[in-house]
Amino acid sequence: MSEQPVMVFQDVTKVYPLPAGDVTALDGVSFQVDRGEFISIMGPSGSGKSTLLNLMGCLDIPTTGDIFISGTRIGDMSDIELTNLRRDRIGFIFQYFNLFPLLNIIENVTFPMMLKSQKAVDPEKGKEVLRSVQLDDSLFTHTPTELSGGQQQRVAIARALINNPDILLCDEPTGNLDSKTGAGIMDLMTELNRNGTTIIMVTHDPHIAEYSRRTTRIADGRIVL
Amino acid sequence: MIFWEIAKRNIRINVLRSSLAMLGIVIGVVAIASMGILGNSLVASVSDSLSSVGDSVIVTPYSGGGGRGFGSASSSANLKITEQNFQQIKRVAAPNVAIPIYQTAEHMKIGVGSDDIVAVIYGLPSDDVPDLLNLKEGVYNNGNSGCLIGPTFAKDHNLIVGSRISIGTNGDKGTLRVTGIIEERGMSFDISTDSALVVTKEWFENTYNRDADYDEVVVKVKDGDTASMKIAIEKQLNKRKDMKIVNVMDSKATLATIYSTFGMVTTFVTAIGGISMVVAGVSIFNVMMMSVTERIKEIGIMRSIGTQKKEVMSMFIYEAAIIGVIGSTIGGVMSIMAGYAISALILNTTKHLFTIANALSVAEGMGFGIVICLACGFYPAWRAANLNPIEALRHE
Repeated sequence: MSEQPVMVFQDVTKVYPLPAGDVTALDGVSFQVDRGEFISIMGPSGSGKSTLLNLMGCLDIPTTGDIFISGTRIGDMSDIELTNLRRDRIGFIFQYFNLFPLLNIIENVTFPMMLKSQKAVDPEKGKEVLRSVQLDDSLFTHTPTELSGGQQQRVAIARALINNPDILLCDEPTGNLDSKTGAGIMDLMTELNRNGTTIIMVTHDPHIAEYSRRTTRIADGRIVL
Repeated sequence: MIFWEIAKRNIRINVLRSSLAMLGIVIGVVAIASMGILGNSLVASVSDSLSSVGDSVIVTPYSGGGGRGFGSASSSANLKITEQNFQQIKRVAAPNVAIPIYQTAEHMKIGVGSDDIVAVIYGLPSDDVPDLLNLKEGVYNNGNSGCLIGPTFAKDHNLIVGSRISIGTNGDKGTLRVTGIIEERGMSFDISTDSALVVTKEWFENTYNRDADYDEVVVKVKDGDTASMKIAIEKQLNKRKDMKIVNVMDSKATLATIYSTFGMVTTFVTAIGGISMVVAGVSIFNVMMMSVTERIKEIGIMRSIGTQKKEVMSMFIYEAAIIGVIGSTIGGVMSIMAGYAISALILNTTKHLFTIANALSVAEGMGFGIVICLACGFYPAWRAANLNPIEALRHE
């Protein structure tokens, strides 16, 4: 029996009701992501990338159609269940790193782990993941603002990986980095994918999209390729 | 937990803003608690100066209005309680003791060549005196030439047991020898003896040509049910509504009214202090709303990586609680200091400061401070928890 896909979209439509009239952001989108894939989603501004990312990240639910994350249908889930799903199954990597300025690097990385275990966690686990993203030990007790952009993104990747998620969702992961640092980050993500991590990356940069094994294009709320 | 840590750190990095919010709570707690302390100390101070007359019913001649002051019998010479009325009271009061009392103000001299002074003289049956008065020193007076004096009177005029007092403008009403000094009673509803003399009923009747026309009757109620005794006496003596004979005062009820009035005054001034707490609450609300607004993006990130609404809410509630607890604790300590200063300045004594009532006032002020902080932190925390994570993530 073949392995269950980590993500399935079945005829997903997302409509935003606005005073000026309904806006259809996604229109009958269907695709699936298998375990171990590295997919990039590309599309122009206003094509529905962000809506797709929000639905993939369980931050929103579809108007019609079904979304399954590791076999679990998210349409009927409560806010608490969706939040737990995000915590346990999905790792987020943002363009602007989005680390917590009040916490040091170790605390930032172990934050999702603490949410899951509801108690203090062993910092060694955080250090281990930080080392796997090639961050120097001397930086572990610093705060995010004391780190460079590339270092901060490595911390963000470590935070996304700490709960061993099924999917890594990346929103323009190199969009705020210079090309050399961006290439370093993409090399790291390629390495993570080679080690079994499923990655879905939204980007508008074709050079960055080349790191993925499959590219999906979106335009006017529809998958076009 | 991590959210507690984040709340602490957020307060630390916004130390000035948090301190100002705390200052509001400190002022509010001090205002409430110190007003409470002042009120309690005032009641305790008044209680000290009121003698323990909670078991007395005081009967005076009917004077129309029914009101009378502390320890002063009817001042109208023609309003008296007759022997017949007294016997009726005595029958109603039995087996409790009913004490008939004469009262007058008199000139007197202490020692040869001393100034003429005026003091109150009470005339009581010798046998009943021990029921009403306790002695500090000396013995109860049984003879016609002896008297008891109040402690203030003794102190003011350097009198001791055995001293002699000439009664009347030129000593024309004879000389009395001090046989005992009465224990301090303070203000009282029946007779105020601290600055007075107490003589025998016989001496008073002979000297002032009085005959069973009393100024006042005091009934000592042993079982403490002064309210029933008051009703019984009124029922017996004031049968006719158009011709009342006596005013009857239940000392316990009067005392309760006094304490209740003080309680209301304390509540009122505490409520005024409470206004400052409401202002502090507005400040807390403002600070918490600022904290939420500044951290909308952070809240969005937290929600997106799996933080539950209640966890986001707890972070802001912790922040409000820390401000409330620290502010209230500082306020509690400062209110004790303020209570000390106010008591020393207004009441000239601090002996009533460390009482359970004052501890409760401080606890009440602190509790109110914490509750206000939590209440004012609740809405901003709720708002933070219920932000749309997508919109929060987009926030710049």
